This record gives sequence, C-alpha cells and structure tokens, in this order.
Amino acid sequence: MIVCVAVVGHQNNPLYIQSFTKGDDSLLRISILNVEGCSYHSLKRHHIVHCSLDVVDERVNNPKKSGLIINETFLGLLNPTENYKVYGYLTNTKVKFILVTTDLEVRDVDARVFFGRFHTAYVDAVSNPFHIPGKKITSRKFAERVSTIVKSFGLSSGG
Amino acid sequence: MEDFPEELRTPPVALSCLIGCPDVHPLITAHLHSQQPPINAIALPDFSKISMIPPKKPSRDPSEPPAGIIKRDWFSKHRTRIPAVVAAIFSSRDVSGDPVHWLQVCTDLDKLKASIRGRNIKLVVLVVTKWNDKDNTSEERILALRKRAEIDSKNLIIFVPDHEPELQQCLSRQVPLIVPLSKFGLWTVLGELANTYYRDEGRRVRSRLEKKNYTSMELHVRYCFKVAIYAEFRRDWLEALKLYEDAYHALREMVGTSTRMPPIQRLVEIKAVAEQLHFKMSTLLQHGGKVLEAITWFRQRTANYRKLVGAPEVIFLHWEWLSRQYMVFAQLLETSSPNALHVPSTDPVAEEKPTEWEFHPAYYYQLAASYLKEKNTCLEFALSMSIDVGAFDGSAESVVASAYLGQYSRLLEHEDAFITQPLTDMEYVHYALAEGKRFKDSFEIIALLKKSFEAYSSSKAERTAAYCGLQMAREYFSLNDFSNAKQIFDSVANLYRREGWLLSLWEVLGYLRECSKGTSSAKDFIEYSLEMASLPETTGSSESFSKDCGPAEPATSSQREKIHKEAFEVARGESELNSDEQNSAFKVKSDYPIYLEIDLISPLRVTLLALVAFHQPMVKPGGQSLITISLRSQLPINVEIDQLEVQFNQSECNFIITNGQKPQISSIDIVQPGHRVETAPDLVLATNKWLRLTYDIKSDLSGKLECIYVIARIGPNFTICCRAESPALMNDSPLWKFENRLETIPIKDPGLALSGQKAIQVEEPEPQVDLILDSSGPALVGESFILPVTVASRGHAVHSGELKINLVDTRGGGLLSPRGEESFSSDNIHVELVDISCDAPQDKSGAPSDKIQKIQPSFGLISVPSLDMGESWSCKLKIKWNHPKPIMLYVSLGYLPQSDDPSLQKVHVHKSLQIEGKIAVAISHRYMLPFRQDPLLLSKLKSVSETDQTPYLALNEKTLLIISVKNSSEVPLRLLSMSIETEEKSVACTVQPQQEEFREAIVNMPGEEFKKVFTIIPKVNSTKLKIGTVSLRWERDSNDTSSQVTKYRLPDVNVELPLLAVTVECPPHAFLGNPFLYSVKILNQTEMLQEIKCSISDSQSFVLSGPHSDTMLVLPRSAQVLTYMLVPLGLGSLQLPRVTVVSMRYSAGLQPSTASLLVFVYPTKPHVDLKPPGDA
Repeated sequence: MIVCVAVVGHQNNPLYIQSFTKGDDSLLRISILNVEGCSYHSLKRHHIVHCSLDVVDERVNNPKKSGLIINETFLGLLNPTENYKVYGYLTNTKVKFILVTTDLEVRDVDARVFFGRFHTAYVDAVSNPFHIPGKKITSRKFAERVSTIVKSFGLSSGG
Repeated sequence: MEDFPEELRTPPVALSCLIGCPDVHPLITAHLHSQQPPINAIALPDFSKISMIPPKKPSRDPSEPPAGIIKRDWFSKHRTRIPAVVAAIFSSRDVSGDPVHWLQVCTDLDKLKASIRGRNIKLVVLVVTKWNDKDNTSEERILALRKRAEIDSKNLIIFVPDHEPELQQCLSRQVPLIVPLSKFGLWTVLGELANTYYRDEGRRVRSRLEKKNYTSMELHVRYCFKVAIYAEFRRDWLEALKLYEDAYHALREMVGTSTRMPPIQRLVEIKAVAEQLHFKMSTLLQHGGKVLEAITWFRQRTANYRKLVGAPEVIFLHWEWLSRQYMVFAQLLETSSPNALHVPSTDPVAEEKPTEWEFHPAYYYQLAASYLKEKNTCLEFALSMSIDVGAFDGSAESVVASAYLGQYSRLLEHEDAFITQPLTDMEYVHYALAEGKRFKDSFEIIALLKKSFEAYSSSKAERTAAYCGLQMAREYFSLNDFSNAKQIFDSVANLYRREGWLLSLWEVLGYLRECSKGTSSAKDFIEYSLEMASLPETTGSSESFSKDCGPAEPATSSQREKIHKEAFEVARGESELNSDEQNSAFKVKSDYPIYLEIDLISPLRVTLLALVAFHQPMVKPGGQSLITISLRSQLPINVEIDQLEVQFNQSECNFIITNGQKPQISSIDIVQPGHRVETAPDLVLATNKWLRLTYDIKSDLSGKLECIYVIARIGPNFTICCRAESPALMNDSPLWKFENRLETIPIKDPGLALSGQKAIQVEEPEPQVDLILDSSGPALVGESFILPVTVASRGHAVHSGELKINLVDTRGGGLLSPRGEESFSSDNIHVELVDISCDAPQDKSGAPSDKIQKIQPSFGLISVPSLDMGESWSCKLKIKWNHPKPIMLYVSLGYLPQSDDPSLQKVHVHKSLQIEGKIAVAISHRYMLPFRQDPLLLSKLKSVSETDQTPYLALNEKTLLIISVKNSSEVPLRLLSMSIETEEKSVACTVQPQQEEFREAIVNMPGEEFKKVFTIIPKVNSTKLKIGTVSLRWERDSNDTSSQVTKYRLPDVNVELPLLAVTVECPPHAFLGNPFLYSVKILNQTEMLQEIKCSISDSQSFVLSGPHSDTMLVLPRSAQVLTYMLVPLGLGSLQLPRVTVVSMRYSAGLQPSTASLLVFVYPTKPHVDLKPPGDA
C-alpha cells in the first residue's frame, strides 16, 4: 500500500506531498512493527521523502556508477528503509516524484506504471493556466486524481 | 562487537599442549605462534598436570531432552582448554638413561595416553637432546618409546635446542633429522595432527547429524554449530558457512515448535544463539570479500527475525537485540576491506540488489540507533506498566547467566554449595526490567547517530545527515543538554529553511524554542517563536495536524497564533520566560531589553520586511524627494508598532514615525532633540499586507543618500532593527517563494515597486561661476599659442579654487609620437602645454602661500585665488604645437562657494575647446639654368630620370634657385627675412645672396605665394652636395606675437663638370629688315677633340646666311662659334631657326627649347621718349 507520494521541485522543495493513512488492518500491524519511534505519521514520511532526495542526487550525479540509463526517468528503488520502500522518478524538468510504499514486494513494472500515470496527472495539473510554475500544487482535482492512482497501484498489471 | 567473547571475534586457532621439559616450552610456543597458520599451545610443566585437560564426559542420555542449545563455554573450551594434539616432551637423558628414569618415562607416557584417549587427542613425542649428546641417544630406546606411544615414526621428533641449524630444521622443515626417526618439523606435525583431530571430531558429530538419531531441534543446531566450528579450525570456511546456515535455519524453525522452556526465555535463548550465528556468518562473508552477499544475507536474516517481537512486556529486549545486530554489522562493514565496499549495484531497478546506502556502515548505524531508541521507548513503557520492579531489585542480583547460551537462572546458596534454579518467565521479566533500568542508552544512541551523521556528511548526503542530526539533537534534548541540541537543531533548520520543508522546519523550530527556554534566552525564544508564527501554512490538513511534531505541537493556525501571542507577551515584558527544568524565570525589562536584528539573510525576514524606495533617482541639494517605507509581516495576528525610526547614512535625515493611536510613548524620550518626528494615523501590520508610509525627505549634502535601517519599537524594551531593502532587489524568502498566496506590490506605483531604490543621488549645487576660453582661431605649428582663460564669478565667491587643464588628442592617438615615448623632448611631443601665466590678483596683494602650479606636457594644475562675487581672474595658457594636430582642451574649475565651511563639497565647472594646429607656410624650390645656356652633363643623360629626382647642377656654372613661400594658414602673415644657411663652411658652392632682410615686411595673405631668386655656383665636383637650409622668419600680421622661424632644408644636388656647353646668343629684339647676328658657341671643356655636327632648320620668317649643316671639330679646351646672319621678314614674336648640335662622341644632341629661341621683331626702331609726357 502506498503511504505517501510527493512532488519535489528542482530546488528540492516540496511542491506536493500527500500521505495516505486511512487503510486496512495491515496498517495497524505495521504501526506496531514500526520501529523508529514515530507512529504512523506524516512527518516521518516527510523525512523519508527528504532523505531519499540524497539518493536521487547521487544517482543523477553519478549515472554510470549507479547504472542509470540515460534519459531514463524511472530511478528505481531509492531506499529500503525497514518498513518502507521508496521509489523515485525524475522528469525532464528536474521535478522529482517520490513514492513511499509499505509493500515489501513491489514489482518494478507496477512502480513504472504508477509513475507514468502520476506524471500525466502532474502535467495536467501544471498546465492549468492558473497554476504558477514553481509554486506548490494546490489543485483539488489533482489530489483526487492522485488518490485514484494510488488506489489502483499494483492492480494495473494484474498483480 | 566488543561485547562478543574473543573466541568469536578472532578466527579459530588450533590448540596443542606441551607436557614436560618446561625449559624448552617458550622456544616451542614462540615458534608455533610465529607460523602461519599459528598454533596455540598450553604448556604443562610436568606430567602430573595432565588432569588440566578436561576428561571426556559421559555421553548424554539420548532420551533426556537437552537443557539448552549451545553451552556458553563450549567454544572457549575448545579454544583454550582441550588441545587437539599433545606433545609429550622427554629429555634424552631420561630416555637413554638408567632404567629408573626410563621406567618413569614409560609410566608418564601411559598415564598421558590414558587421559587423552577418551577425547581422541593426538599425540606427538619430542625427545630433547643436546648437540653434543646427539649421538648418545640410544636408538633402541627411541624405538621402544615410539612403540610405547603407539605413534608413527614421523611423530617422534628428536629436538636439539642448542644448535641453531638443527633446531630450525627440527622445528619447521621436513628435512630428515635423524633418519628414520623424524622426517617432519614440529609445526608441520602438530598442524597435521590437529587438522586430523578436528576433522575426526567434525566427522563424528556430522555422522550424528546424518543419522538424525536425535529428537530435538536443539541438538540439530548444536551439532551444526559444532561441525562448523571444527571446520573453522581447519580453515574450511565454505563448509563452516554452510553449516552455520543450516544451524540458522534450524534455529528459525525452532521458534514455533520448541516447548522446552517458558516462552519468553525460549525466545531470548534462540535470539542469543542466532546472534552468534549472525556474527559468525557476517564475519566469514565480509572477511571473504563477499560484501554483496553479506548485505543481502543480512537483510534477509533481519527481516526473518524482525517480526519475532516476543511478549509485550519484554518487547524492548527485541529492539535491543535488533539494534545490536545492526551495530555489529556496521562495525564489521567498517572493518572489512575498503575495496570490497562501494560495490556498485549494477542494476538499480532490480529488487534484490542493495541500494547505495546499504554499502555504507552509516546506514546500519542509523538503524541501530533507531532500534535502540525504540528499545528505550518500549522499556519506559514497560517500566511504567510494572509497578513492582523495585521489589524484585534485591533478588535480581542473584540471577546469573547459566551454562547454556542465552539462558539465565537463579543462583542459590544451599549448604555451602551453589545451586542454580531455573527462572519463571515472570521472574525473568522482572530481572530484564531491572537490568534495563540500570542502563541509560541515550549516549549510545547519540554515539551511533554521530557516526552515521559524520559518514553521511562526508559522502555529501546532507539530507540524510540532517535527519541523523535531528534524531541526535532530539536525544540531546531529552537529556536536557540544550546547548548541544540547539547547535545541531540550528544546522538542521538551515537545511529545511533553504529547501522549504515546512513541517520539518516547524518541528525543529519547536525544539529550538524549547531549548531557548531551557537556556533562558529570551532573545532566542522570541526569534524562534516569531519565525514559527510566520511560517506559511502547510497545505493539506492532514499534514498540519500531524501529532509527532515534538514540542511544537501540530502546525495549525491556532497554534501559530498561540506562539505569536506568547512571543509578544514575553517581548513586552508582560510574562516571564519559564523554563520547566531549571525553574528559572527570565523577564524582559529595561535592564534586559531585547534587540532583534533582521538582515538580508535572516530567517526573520518573513516576520518583518522593510522596503524603502525613493520616488526620484536624483534630487537637487536642498530639494525634496518622496520616500516610501513599506513594511510587511507574515505573522498570523496584527502587530501594532509603537514607533518606527528610519535611519540614513546622512544622520541628519533620520526621522521617527510615531503611532497616532499611542501618542504617549515613553520610548520617544530616547530620540535626540532636534530630530524630525512624524506621526502616522496608525502603525498596524496585518498579515501579508503592506503598510505603506510616504514622507518627504530633504538633504543638503550632495552625494549618496541611502536608507539603512528601519527600526520598529514595540513596547518599552523590544526593538526590531530591520535592514532596509530596495524593492528592485527584493527576493522572496525560500519559505514563501513556493506558496500560493496573494501577491501585492510593496508600493502603489507599480513602476516604483519594480525599480525603486533605497538610495538616491543628491546632485551638486549649480555653479555660479563662468569659465571662459578665448580662442583666436587655429594655432600655427611652431608658434606658442596663447589661450586666455577667464574665471568670472556671477553669483558665487570662489574659494580654494583649482583649475585643471588637460590636453587630449581628439583622435585618441595620444600626444606623443610613437617613436619617442620614453623621452619627453619637444621633437616627439606633438602638442605641449608650455606655461601658464596668470595675472596677480589685484586687490589681494598677499597671494596665498599654498599656490599650486603643476605643469606637465598634457596636464596642468593651477590654483585660482579667492574671488569675491562679481570679480574675475584670468590666466594664459601657452601651448606649443610641434606637429599639426587637432587637440581637445579640457579646463575644469573646482571651487568652494564659502570659505568658512570646509565640509561643503566643491562645485565644479567644466569647459572644453577643440583647437586645430596648422602649418603656417609651405616652402618649395626650383633650379633653373641661365638663359640660352645648355651644358652637357653626361650623368644626367645616363640617369633614369624617373627614379632619380636629384637635380644636376653644372660645375662652375651659374644656376638659379627659386624659393617660393606659400601662406597655407588662414591668417595673413608677415615675412621678415629669408636666408640660405649653407651647411658646410667650405666653398663648395656660392649662394647669392646669403641672407636678405626685407626692408619692408612682406605681407603674405592666405593662399598667396612669394618667390625669391638666389644664384648658386657649385665649386666642387661631387654627388650629393648639400646646398643648405632656407630659413624664413615670419610673424602673424598682428603685432602682439613674436616672430617665428620656419626652416626648409634644400635637397642634395649632384654637381658635375659639363663636357660641352652650348650658348646661343642673339639680341633680344630685332627690326624688320635689319640683319642681326645669331651665334651658337660650343665650348669643349674636355681634353679631347670633339666632333660636333650641327644643322639649322629653315624658317619662313628669316633669311639666314651661314652654314646650313656642318660637321666640325672643336679643339680641346677651346670654343667654336657658329655665326649666322639673320634678316627678319615678319613682325612680332618670332621663332628663330632651330639649331641642332650633336656631339658625335657622346651621341648627345642639344636642341634649345622653343621658349629660348624667341625674338621680338619691331617694324622699325622705336623712338622712345623717356621724358614724361608733361615735359613735351
């Protein structure tokens, strides 16, 4: 289950960050197992997203070392924190998408599909003439669309 | 890692035992240690100490269930007490000596054999002999000894300690020492036997595993562990790893199945064993360079165990255990070879590959710290839940670790003997809680985080490092170590501020605010509070209600307002700053005022931003300009300012704006008297709204007027000093930059809002003094051009005046000619300022002593005397042109209008003038031969006329030189004299006249030409004869200038003796019908006979008599004259018959020019009456 998605601007500033807490029983279980002193709260996820930007930087700056293919937007698994997996995506305008999930078995293809849809939603949101480029995304429609995409995570490829 | 016993941390080393002959023990042990792999040795001085080797225990009853998994001391027993091989050492004297000794040897050997047989320990016999005694050793006895010991011949070694080569051979190499007694060195023999021992033991245990003749999983784990250890002794790492893995899997299976012990203790035991297995496997993998495998394995194994939390009361034990796993792994990763580190993950997308940070120990340290933190939390919770921990405290001391790894039991004293009693789970929990209470983990957490922080910082992962720092600071905070906490929180806050992570920043600021309370720093408290209160609202309601924001509490707008109010209450001195921990209170009062300074990089810019814009870019001195001060605050509640002070770089302009709503404010007292005070209707700052105040400002001082500070006073003791910013240069704070909010412009005029500046230029006062440059047309080269400069005061008096003069080339080429920049001589300076002459001030007889005068070729500086209003002063610049060149003359006057105020700025007047420099006269010359005379100059005939322009003059013949002078200037000139100065004093040539002073000056108007004729008779036959230089003295046709001399050098000439000279003679005029003589004289100046051909052409105008065409010979140095008689037939100017003279020798002909052969024919002889007509 996806617990957090974020859009991070090219100055590493958060443009949109949304946590998803309402969930099923599995969440309760994870929250017992959660070890890092924090209960299942959004601030913790802010930190996870923020720390994962270091890995994005590292991958982007040393593409050879990290085996990144040129022009590949999907950055793959950034950080396996103990209870979360963090995936990253980098657009051509250096805007980063970060996905935090509690599913420990995530298929890459699912993550790719997710980011593809998310990117489309993002492009639509910033194409809004009332949106000022570089500012935070406050569109409610975008939030709704993101929720839909998050809900359908992992279902797309029959997984 | 240090918590593990040494036998676990170091690779296993085979153990041997030396018995007897203690004097050789040090030698042998040192040798065994030095070999690779080394062998440890227990040294027993004599055979009575055999009992030190623990005897074999009776084998276990298979039906009885095992009491535990692994005995705590099993491994150390094999490392330190049970040898794999025993070396019995006998002296050769005993062996070969008398029967009593021999008997003793046999007895000792038997005893030894009996005691080691049960454990299957291998035996080696050493016979120590002296080098001298070597041959005395009885071979029979040796043979008997070997048989008695039941060993191979290679295992009996004759040992010669006092002979170095023998000793070395005996100790190490396989050289037969005493054939056939020993073939092998001691170390080799011991090593082989030890290997055999460990292999046999391993096989023995392994066979049990294979037969599976056991019932419990404990035994499976134990056997696997033992086989693995034996394999490690043999350095068979692969086998060891495989068996550890087996043991590990079996152990994991046990979790659900074993029922042997109470559940809590059972899990504790399993984890204790698992920990040892983890450690062993990680060590083996990492030291084998298989870092990638180690990491992958570690991840899987911890994932397996992470869920085994155990009973809720002792959940903290689980986190402690897990933390230890991470810490140990990190330490191993740190100590393993650095080359193995940083193995790139070749495919980042692949799930199973570790990501970047997993190769860094920092990652594991961070997790270890966070698990330890979790342990702390759980421990505190467990302690708070169990009230009766204290009651158990006394008995906790009697709990000891029992014989099995991971088990604890109570030690009871019973009739002088200690017996152990198993614990119940309840008792164990009490024991664990009591133990947990004794230790504080915060420092350990900080140490782990610090390691992680440093490692992340060095690998430039600043965000992850900041997160570690945040956790570290939180830990310091929980320990009430506020200064450390504040330092780290501050650096973390900087990162969050820069990248605009509001919620994280909110949390950190909350901590900082509490830290400042703890350190009783009201200033910090107010700063952090104001920053928090003016943070943007986080979007998304769920985020801002997040409850884990620490002391900051959720980032809601009500919380912001609360923080805002608290800050202002403290600032106004209405409430005290209380620190809960230290029970100290701090109150802002007049002794402790608060002064906040907000500069361009301060995070408090969002709290108060002051923009200042002048409405005009320039202002006249004393003129008024409008200034707008715009203030904005992002604080959630309106703030009322009591007083604003605006400070400028010119302090006279400072002014104060008071709040009209609060007219009686005590702080007005601090205003210096005489300062301007304005009153605004109200000074209330509303959230995100500009407070705009516009006032007049006047400055008398020219120069820059800049607003520096806007100081807001709120309450009697709280001041915010805000550095003024220009609207044009304003950039928004990174925190607000990304927010969607209403953007308003700071000043109503949008142009000013974009381009307004906080500084204005105050101009200089208007000069009221005229500077007049009188130009009298163009200058002439060579003359000293006089240029009068007049300073005339119109409205200002002139004091301390200075006149600066600059000559600048209008074309920018410089006033020096390029070849002579090093030396200033008049030749290579085109134009120079020669002198400045000035009138002495008439009314001020005492000229000022500090009169400056400085003249350089292109620059001059002269001081101007003090002038009263209406007076004038003038000076004359003398400028000399050496070459024709237009120049620009810049003259600037700087003066003070009043002499008594030296602080005033000087007023400047600038003037410039372009002056052309022109050449006055152009001189040219021409040579002419006398009339009707033609010398034959041979070289002139030969020379190619076009390239060689040098004129040829005939030696000793008269030549005319015509000098013409043309006035090329625009003014009339007077020519005074002209002369030719011959350069050589000798009589090379005669010039007539040498010099001529004109009796009356000749006025030469512009464009006019004046000619003067000189005669030259060259006296020397030479090429390149220098004739001389023409000097023309002239002056302007106005009386006030001195005369100048223009020189013109005549070019060199060639002088040659003419070979022949032809002179045509005839009267200048004739009369019709009257005959006249027309003769041609040919002079031969050579030493040779010259054949001359001459002919005369007929002419219709004349009748002629004489030779028509003839060839004649002219004798050397003589002349021949051809004479014709001519009778004119026509009238007027007639052409004489043309005579052609040709010298046959030189093939040179002479034809007189038509102009020279003209004669005027009158009709009759004129009767000229010379008398004036009136006389007639």
